[in-house]
Amino acid sequence: MKAPVRKIIGQSTVDGPGNRTAIFLQGCNIRCAYCHNPETQPLHADDVEMLSVDDVIEEVKKGIPFIRGITVSGGECMMHQPFLLELFRKVHALDAKLSCLADSNGTFLFSEPLLSEVDGVLLDVKAWDASVWKELTGSPTNEVVKQNLKNLLLRDKVAEVRIVCLPKDGPIQTDVEAVIAGVKAVASECGRPMPKMHLIAFRPHGVVGTLAETPMTSAEEMRVYESFLQ
Amino acid sequence: MADIYSIVTSRKLTYEQKLNALAHAAEDTLEVIPKPERTRYYFEKGVICNLNEGQAPYRPRYIMPDYAKAVKNGVRFLELEPPTDFDELLTFLQILYRHVPSITTYPVYLGDLDQLIEPFIEGIPDDVVEKKLRLFLLYLDRTITDSFCHANIGPRETRAGRILLKIERSIQQAVPNLTLKYDPELTSDSFAEEAILTSLYSANPAICNDPANRVYDHYGISSCYNILPVAGGSYTLTRIVLPRLAELTDSYDEFLHVLLPEALRCMADNMSERIRFIVEKSGFFESHFLVKEGLIERDRFTAMFGLVGLAEAANKFAPEGKKYGNDKEADDIAEEILAAISDFAGAYEAPYCDISDHRLLLHAQVGIDTDYGITSGIRIPIGDEPESIYDHLRHSARFHRYIPTGCSDIIPFDVTGKQNPAAILDIVKGAFRLGQKYVAFYASDSDMVRITGYLVKRSEIEKWNKGEQVLQNTTQLGAPTYASAHLQDRKVRGV
Repeated sequence: MKAPVRKIIGQSTVDGPGNRTAIFLQGCNIRCAYCHNPETQPLHADDVEMLSVDDVIEEVKKGIPFIRGITVSGGECMMHQPFLLELFRKVHALDAKLSCLADSNGTFLFSEPLLSEVDGVLLDVKAWDASVWKELTGSPTNEVVKQNLKNLLLRDKVAEVRIVCLPKDGPIQTDVEAVIAGVKAVASECGRPMPKMHLIAFRPHGVVGTLAETPMTSAEEMRVYESFLQ
Repeated sequence: MADIYSIVTSRKLTYEQKLNALAHAAEDTLEVIPKPERTRYYFEKGVICNLNEGQAPYRPRYIMPDYAKAVKNGVRFLELEPPTDFDELLTFLQILYRHVPSITTYPVYLGDLDQLIEPFIEGIPDDVVEKKLRLFLLYLDRTITDSFCHANIGPRETRAGRILLKIERSIQQAVPNLTLKYDPELTSDSFAEEAILTSLYSANPAICNDPANRVYDHYGISSCYNILPVAGGSYTLTRIVLPRLAELTDSYDEFLHVLLPEALRCMADNMSERIRFIVEKSGFFESHFLVKEGLIERDRFTAMFGLVGLAEAANKFAPEGKKYGNDKEADDIAEEILAAISDFAGAYEAPYCDISDHRLLLHAQVGIDTDYGITSGIRIPIGDEPESIYDHLRHSARFHRYIPTGCSDIIPFDVTGKQNPAAILDIVKGAFRLGQKYVAFYASDSDMVRITGYLVKRSEIEKWNKGEQVLQNTTQLGAPTYASAHLQDRKVRGV
């Protein structure tokens, strides 16, 4: 089985807990206004290699025993679910202690058998309100994201919730406070603690379209967003 | 005598540095260690080098007192009763440290500092402990003016250890060098992560693979990163400078089978003579209070059989273009050379080295300021480091297993490492699992920089280079080494 692999980083410290090998798959199903790597959106690109699961496993092996696990990102990794399943199975067969995380926009439902094989999801909850979501991503609904949030919380598989925070005076708004409140409500409904919330400041680097000229979210604004977590 | 006149009239040396240099010059007027012709030849060629240890050694080079025993029993010679509270402990240690001799004239080992302190701070609030420890560390930094001085913490997390790390993070002091003994079974992740994070602020502490370094029943880390028995130490450290030996022939066969065995024997015999002089002639073990009061014991001393520049020697004999740290051909030659040295040391019987079964123990010597084009111990030359930090550490693990009395890697990390010390700990865990023995990090933007094992401030190097006096002796060694060894070009590892 093969998938288009944009790149593999042997030593990543920003894609989940600890030191990990990060694998970036090509192709995304939505078009976020703040996407900083739009080159990963098309499913096929001339500069992207088709790699087999075993090719990727060879790269993962180079990181053992220095890594805590792997994280598959994108693009949107869930566009390649059969590949993901086989990769995670083979990584776990190498060493059951290696954790396999998926960095996902949450628009594809995590279901069995992948749900059992994935150790955690870095779940984007980009917006709570449907209209904010639609404006931001071009996708009609975020119902699946919310369903994933609930399912994954019940299985204790939310590694973290990620929210990109836009500056207040830009052309598009995010509803960060509503996302935090929404996640809190779902967690409490599930009888689970609040998952780790990762607020990410918007950066214009690499962004094309509406937000290309929007400045980075200031540290001061980020402090305001962080205060919603209290 | 011209040398002595220039010491006396120097504007660059402090009073204390002049005094030490004069004592050294006086010692070197004696010639009491026999030097047969071939030994003399290898010394003159710079192949064997005893690192300015002096011609008439009158104390072991590295001394590792059993401070816990001193604290328990007191020290009669110094008229010190066992300390009963925290203030008394700190004063007790300050006084005792002052009287511990070594090659540098300062103590090279300050003990398991957190464990010494921990029982004395029960019931004292953190801020009070912190204030007193800050002053204690300030005193050490300003009076032990040589950074070949080491305190240990760990492997178990203690409140004292936490407070020491907190202070370290906010001060930029070269003394003492600090090492965490790390054992994944005994050291909590959070304590180890705190230690790593601290090192990205102050280049301290280094991380020692505790299980892999338990060469003796109780060891400590002293000076640069010397692994030595507590209540003992090392009589001497002499080194073989492999690239200079390699210069004497173009035949690898002659190098490996003729010159190397001869030079090793000359070096080992010379070390044996030095040991005999210290034990039988100098009077040290008959008269020093540390011995009389059982804080060190003669039969817990060993001797360090140093080697330096394995990389350059291997590269010389490797096929054209093949490099140590990157190519199997060069690495295999290096391992063959290292194994030959290890086998020699394993078969040679040295006097008065009871703790090491009468063997000399290999040490990856870090180099000195006058080494040009010679890489520390068994390290990969700066500029040749493999692209992947994993390959770098795997390589270290392969070679570290031959070295019982100290070897290390020094890795500058990009400042972004501060965001995720857990990731750096994962890398350390992996390296230690493979057998890598000791690693030190510092941040690429840090004023404090690890030269070859010891710490120096870049700002102090600049002062010295401008001709100003500097407090730390080691700045004088570090300044030329920083430039000649191209330390600014060490591969910075990112995240």
